[in-house]
Amino acid sequence: MNPPAADKLRASLSQGNWDRALTQLERLDPQVAADLFMSIPFEDQEVLFRQMPVEFAATLAGIFPYYHTYVLLHSRPVDELNAIVDKMSPAARMQFIDELPAEAWQRLMNELQTPHDAAAAAAPELAAPAIPHAPLEAPIIEARHIEKRFQRPDGTSIQVIAPTDLAVEPGIIIALLGPSGSGKSTLLRMLTGLAPTSAGEVLWHGKPVAECAPNVAIVFQSFALFPWLTVLENVEVPLVARAMEHPERHRRAIQSLASVGLTGFENAYPKELSGGMKQRVGFARALAVEPEILFMDEPFSALDVLTAENLRGELLELWLGKKIPTRSIFLVTHNIEEAVLLADRIIVLGRNPAKIRADFRVPLAQPRERNSAEFLLYVDYIYKLMTQPQLEAGPPVPGETKVPYQVLPHARRGTIAGLLELLGDRGGKEDLYRIADELHLEVDDLLPIVEAAVLLAFAKSDKGDVEITPEGKAFAEADISTRKRLFRDAALSHVTLLQQMHSALANKSDHTMSLEFFRDLLREHFPDAEVQRQIETALNWGRYADLFTYHADSDRLSLDELGVGARDH
Amino acid sequence: MAPKQEKPLTGLLRDLPIILAVIALFYALLSLTRYWTGPVNTQPVIHLQPGALPKYALFSLARITVAYFLSLIVTLIYGYVAAHNARAERFLIPLLDTLQSIPVLSFLPPVMVAMVALIPTRQLGVELGSIVLIFTGQVWNMTFSVYSSMKNIPRELLEAAQVYRLSWWQRFVQLELPYSAIGLVWNSMMSVAGGWFFLMACEMFVLGNRDLRLPGLGSYLQTAANAGDTRAILWGVSTMVLVIVMMDQLIWRPIIAWSQKFKMEQVEALQVPRSPILDLLRRSKFLSTAAAITVTPAREALGLFFARRHLAPRPNRVARKFPAAWILGIAALLGLLYAVVQMLIELGRLTLPDFRAILLGTGATFLRVELTLVLAGLWTIPVGVYIGLRPKLSAITQPIAQIAASVPATALFPIVLLFLIRVGGGIGIGSIVLLLLGTQWYLLFNIIAGASSIPTDLKEVCDVFRLSRVEHWRRLFLPAIFPYLLTGFVTASGGAWNASIVAEYFHFHGQTISTTGLGAVISRATDSSNFSLLLGATVTMAALVVTINRLLWRRLYVLASTKYKLES
Repeated sequence: MNPPAADKLRASLSQGNWDRALTQLERLDPQVAADLFMSIPFEDQEVLFRQMPVEFAATLAGIFPYYHTYVLLHSRPVDELNAIVDKMSPAARMQFIDELPAEAWQRLMNELQTPHDAAAAAAPELAAPAIPHAPLEAPIIEARHIEKRFQRPDGTSIQVIAPTDLAVEPGIIIALLGPSGSGKSTLLRMLTGLAPTSAGEVLWHGKPVAECAPNVAIVFQSFALFPWLTVLENVEVPLVARAMEHPERHRRAIQSLASVGLTGFENAYPKELSGGMKQRVGFARALAVEPEILFMDEPFSALDVLTAENLRGELLELWLGKKIPTRSIFLVTHNIEEAVLLADRIIVLGRNPAKIRADFRVPLAQPRERNSAEFLLYVDYIYKLMTQPQLEAGPPVPGETKVPYQVLPHARRGTIAGLLELLGDRGGKEDLYRIADELHLEVDDLLPIVEAAVLLAFAKSDKGDVEITPEGKAFAEADISTRKRLFRDAALSHVTLLQQMHSALANKSDHTMSLEFFRDLLREHFPDAEVQRQIETALNWGRYADLFTYHADSDRLSLDELGVGARDH
Repeated sequence: MAPKQEKPLTGLLRDLPIILAVIALFYALLSLTRYWTGPVNTQPVIHLQPGALPKYALFSLARITVAYFLSLIVTLIYGYVAAHNARAERFLIPLLDTLQSIPVLSFLPPVMVAMVALIPTRQLGVELGSIVLIFTGQVWNMTFSVYSSMKNIPRELLEAAQVYRLSWWQRFVQLELPYSAIGLVWNSMMSVAGGWFFLMACEMFVLGNRDLRLPGLGSYLQTAANAGDTRAILWGVSTMVLVIVMMDQLIWRPIIAWSQKFKMEQVEALQVPRSPILDLLRRSKFLSTAAAITVTPAREALGLFFARRHLAPRPNRVARKFPAAWILGIAALLGLLYAVVQMLIELGRLTLPDFRAILLGTGATFLRVELTLVLAGLWTIPVGVYIGLRPKLSAITQPIAQIAASVPATALFPIVLLFLIRVGGGIGIGSIVLLLLGTQWYLLFNIIAGASSIPTDLKEVCDVFRLSRVEHWRRLFLPAIFPYLLTGFVTASGGAWNASIVAEYFHFHGQTISTTGLGAVISRATDSSNFSLLLGATVTMAALVVTINRLLWRRLYVLASTKYKLES
């Protein structure tokens, strides 16, 4: 603290001389100025902040605690708020946004995207809930409370998609983002009418989807081309289905192929083409029908990085140049950067069961810079959302009081050790997207590893960062046999399924048990495919931890004698 | 790319064989029609001089061809319905499983009686009977193949078809049929080969007091065997081999080469089956013109017709559909019930000696089939692995083995029997030799395929660790070829049971030679029109084959596809 400076400032304030107060502050070292600023009454802070030049305000805002910055920012009109955030140093802005609670974040993001109009400039109220973007035009699709359940043989059902409301409005690219197995593709199929909903309804222009045969097209991850047809014939397939006759059909197909740069390949067979070219055919086929909404189900996932990037760029170019005869694009992806790169609106899906965790606009101008601060803000935020499953735990639904069973993240124990070692090298803490970037891992691959480390209490995850715990540090630095012991301790104290397996085996007189018993146990809580993955992960961990051995031939678990021996010593 | 400027004469010369072939085909059809619509002659004299052979070969070929197309139509309908209608599937697939295990001869009496009753005054009646008989030996595996192909179409392809709203016709022609093509072609070849195998039984048979025979290669061979005419037998066998090899070159090779485009592969294979005949057909101006004025417009019109119908709104379609399906289902159920009751009544007529014959025969044939499989395995496993591990050798031996395999064992049987009788063995050994001749090829080909797919690195590991020869077999070869071996054994086992009806009972030198066995019981019951015995023996065989499939092979399949699968 700087007593003389503080006294001078107070004097200026008591005289109501705001200009002088500002000049005094600006002359000081920013850190000192910030401290000083914080020491004056809040009402004065607000008045003073409102009059501050944008640059200076940005400098100070980068130093205040985030809640303080947040409140002060809202004392200024929206366009100025925008400018201030813009002027903050990238690191400071990142930290500020990083620390904001999700609701405040979403609210701020919405404000930042709002065009500079006067109505929005009116002083906002903090207590108001986050406003999802307001669609300007009538939606093309409206999904009302759609949900998906899978029937189990015993008559009960498992919910894979919780009741969801979703509207698709014209004129934008929407990205549906979520970890794998979260039900993204199922949701897409329900919206297109490919898959029935278990409850709720999907309306296209107000009519149920089953009745109106909507004009849609899907670009598939695996391309879904007919290998026995030439490129041209493949593009003509949907046109034949629309009873379009020969010369016109031919013309339309050629035109569609030309728009994706495939002129000259009409008579090639798909297997003669590279992956990227195949997906172009997929696009041409989809565009040929001039769909009202173009659906894309992980269209770039099966391609190599460069091809995917190239194709994304071309798609965007076509879309921005209004050369795509479609009103909206609905993209399903697990690639966060892809979503931020392309989408005007991002919907983040959580899993078990799938539900919308966030739904927000991305107001960044196209083309977007992957390394720009704004871009990274969005990427970081989505990481934060996806690593904090409890973030938006809704109110308990009546009738479903069953305590959710612990879900094992599908990570091999070797990758967990790898992550911990990396964290150890990085001084114990790191941003998730940086790790993903560095290891060339997609979020889909990275998240389970992080979740596993957190589950085992080897790491903590907070706001898009991972931090190693003392246990994790011990593990990362231990030798092979100690690691096994540490892993075993962690598994037995934190992993429900492994606890159950171990105690069941220990309590049986012959110390062996059929694995099917545990599969049955899990079937109470998960669909079959998930049961399989849970068991696989449990086996991977349990075998490493010497909790048991598994005999594939007889499908039985037995207590690991070596493990028991080791513990007895 | 074909050169742009081409002398018209060269084009015509190239098309000449095709045009001639079309004319020949037309003439053959004409003469066949004349024969089929002629009056009944069930006792034609089968001439044994070689000059009669071309005509007989044509007749047999025509029967097999018609039977094949009949099989194809039934296969497509049956497979399509079973794959698309879950309710029908539950009933159709077990039925198919059972039908497949019934030997051809057991179909003979009901089929013949029905056909002759249907068209009593024309040769066509008996001919149709024979064709349906051949059909019953061809159709089932084709149907299974189409059904399982259609059930296994990748999900995203189906979704593409659904989201782009393909009519059922377009979906069938552009997705389901092409996807089934490879399996269908392969099974068609097997089926037609099976047709040749049972040709002798299908062209000449006794039905009660009537001795029916139809002019053809099968009856020629049978007559020659009856007369003990070695020269005629050799002529007949040579003709048959010639016809089969020509069919292979002129029909199957081109079809296989053509069907490669239906492979679900993402990248182009390095080695593609080729056929000069196919190249000739593809380059032909005559054919492409013919296709341009017939097939192309027809395809276009059909596609558009079904698309328009699909797009048109169809009000209360569901309401109309239900009663028809119900009536059909109830009718089928009643028919089945009636058949079961009749069968039980027929079975009730079985006498104690009948039971003893069936029981004894089952035991004997069981031992014979298993012995055959063991013998076949003993020589094919080492030879197959030896060939399969040496790509150069297998390139040479494969075509030879394929020709050898295409010769139906039944055609050789008279020669084998003649030889065995001369050296002192009887039909006891003869039947095993015949079964062996008929079944060993399945095993050999599968083993060669298995051995050639063993990855080099695994072989190198075994060499590096200096595994002994025994260890090589125990640790690498046998586990690696296990899935292939199993496929071979399953096909061979089914084939052997079915072949026992011709192997255990034979008309030779004017007398009937037979040995104890279920196949002999069935053949004898057919000859003597003892329907209850025929039914009893057939049910026993079908039940046994289905049971063995379920209890033994299917379990081993699971093991093969989990533990012994070499994953790439």
